[in-house]
Amino acid sequence: MLNSPLQDPLADRLHALKQRFVERLKVELVSLEAYGQKLEQQDVELESMRNCVQRLHQLAGSAGTFGFPEVGELARELEKRLKTEVEHWPDNAGAGHPGAEACTGLAVQFRALVARMKTESAEPVPDRDQAATTVIDEASLHGQQVRLLVVSDGLSELDDLVKELSRYGFNVLVLGLSDDRFSETNRAALLDNVATAICWHGMVERVARQVSGHHADAWPYLMPLVCIGETGQFEQRYRVASAGARAFFPEPVDVPELVERVETFVEEKTSRVRGRVMIIDDDRELAEHYSLVLAAAGIEPRVVNDPAQLLEALHGFEPDLVLMDIELGHYSGVTLAGMIRFHARWLSLPIIYLSAEDDLESQLQALSGGADEFLVKPISDDYLIRSVQMRCQRARQLSELMNRDSLTRLLKHSIIKQEVERERLRSMRGDYPSCAVLLDIDHFKQVNDTWGHAQGDVVIRALANLLRNRLRESDAIGRYGGEEFLVVLSNCDAPAAEHLVGRILQNFSELEFAVGEQAFQVTFSAGIALINQFAEGDQAIEAADRALYARKRAGRNGVMIYDQSMAGRSLSPADGF
Amino acid sequence: MSNDARMPEKVLYVEDDPDIRSIAELALRDVGGFTACLCESGAEALAVIDDFQPDLVLLDVMMPGMDGPQTLKALQSRPQGLPVPVVFMTARLQPAEIEEYLALGAIGVIPKPFDPMTLADEIRRLAAAGAS
Repeated sequence: MLNSPLQDPLADRLHALKQRFVERLKVELVSLEAYGQKLEQQDVELESMRNCVQRLHQLAGSAGTFGFPEVGELARELEKRLKTEVEHWPDNAGAGHPGAEACTGLAVQFRALVARMKTESAEPVPDRDQAATTVIDEASLHGQQVRLLVVSDGLSELDDLVKELSRYGFNVLVLGLSDDRFSETNRAALLDNVATAICWHGMVERVARQVSGHHADAWPYLMPLVCIGETGQFEQRYRVASAGARAFFPEPVDVPELVERVETFVEEKTSRVRGRVMIIDDDRELAEHYSLVLAAAGIEPRVVNDPAQLLEALHGFEPDLVLMDIELGHYSGVTLAGMIRFHARWLSLPIIYLSAEDDLESQLQALSGGADEFLVKPISDDYLIRSVQMRCQRARQLSELMNRDSLTRLLKHSIIKQEVERERLRSMRGDYPSCAVLLDIDHFKQVNDTWGHAQGDVVIRALANLLRNRLRESDAIGRYGGEEFLVVLSNCDAPAAEHLVGRILQNFSELEFAVGEQAFQVTFSAGIALINQFAEGDQAIEAADRALYARKRAGRNGVMIYDQSMAGRSLSPADGF
Repeated sequence: MSNDARMPEKVLYVEDDPDIRSIAELALRDVGGFTACLCESGAEALAVIDDFQPDLVLLDVMMPGMDGPQTLKALQSRPQGLPVPVVFMTARLQPAEIEEYLALGAIGVIPKPFDPMTLADEIRRLAAAGAS
């Protein structure tokens, strides 16, 4: 997994877009390959060649922008030649197709293009082809990259929904069922980076068949399918459920609710493979082996060979689970586990001993020291992966429950505050800028008073989801107060943070909250402070708060960066905010 | 400042390819510092242009439905006309086509593929040349 704290957010996003384009190349190359084969067999007809010219044209115009100029050039040349053929197409079927020579020539060019695309699209995506692993491209799940697939039969029922979902920051791909991207060969590439499929209830069986044919992985992942229906009668829902759909939304669709559901699917998918495991073993080779095995299964390992480094390493790495040898030279794993438990923060961290000890009584003795379980060496790779995965997932669920706000599933007040301080320390070590951003929904009381508290909750959840969608996995987002959010933007300077938050504000202010026939829109104000300027995390939060208040004074619906001139002013409620 | 007053700040870009729209958004907003509005079709551009009030319009030439030139004509034939400069984006750059687009009233043509790091500069360059 790439962890490069020095990349700026723009580069991150460019990279993510490039990755997405690579996915598109993979899909595209399969159909181009098919066209090439048809030409080779001289099995061509005008309509499909026109279609092919269109595709080549798009590729010629876009590939260079995403950093694949050669693909673009090859596509352009081919487009030109094929276009000439199409323009001179004999108009009665008797003459059939371009001459044999032309076909062969074109087929050769197609092969060159496809080969180039294969090379280019194979390169920048590491981890993908490792056997028996399910490494999910992070970029496809976070930031703006959550991709939804809307399957439509050309009717316009879902058009508004597509627009609405795009406003929430999703990347929505709309395809007809007969699109070639659903063909046997293309399907895996298509479905690989789609988080959820959405369709009209009438086509549920057909869509389910298309999206469920994806069992190549060792642990098959079934794409969640959501159906939209007219009424929500029992029969309709029953049919949808029996086709394997995960959710049903009657019209008019409660979009915030749907977004919420999609978010849980995304988390589900992510949590299948993620997990951070710290391995403490003085046998370097064995530790290295465990580390490789876990990494191959999508778990992020960190090896600590020297027990004296343990606590520091824990703070830096924040594992979901610790695997520890019970005898570490002249140190005892049991005592180390006890030391870990000195810290309230690590009370719930699962610790698993690795040991050759198979005497149950001694095991029990060791467990009383504060660990959770024994794995007896030698451990098979498969057993190690499965037991670690299971426990990571469970540990995540538990910490979710403890650390997250129930309405928004964002970090709770105390946790996000700690996160600011942690980021301050991290960014000092790594010598990069990071920002704390405090956001407050404008006139929230008015929303509650006018539309009711339930609508107020919808607004809060909508902002939470939008933030989750637009920020990176490495950023931390918390619910700081009722309608206040605190965000930690790692490796991001103040102007970049201002840009980013400004864009999120723009999206947020475009969201329409519907209540019966009426609808309303909401804005927020935000203050930004560069964490690195301060000696303590709390001071950075206070500075962000001052910038927020300054923004509110200057008129809401905007973003402001903290500067020294705001330092002395009072923040008392007497200001009327 | 007096020169800058003519420089566009708000750009409306009409482009049917969603991937290109995403990267153009980055190129215009983040790299270029424009306020940008991205539309997926000529019809959408017609619907939003009054609210957005762009200083400049960028049109992809080849789009399903209304293509770039048709979109331009539709924008121009509104009662208030189209009082801001227009730039076409095209992957097929032939001299005859450039002539045709300029004749329609465009101030320039940007070839595709474009470089996301320099797209904004190119727009500003065309706008400066068009304004002088």
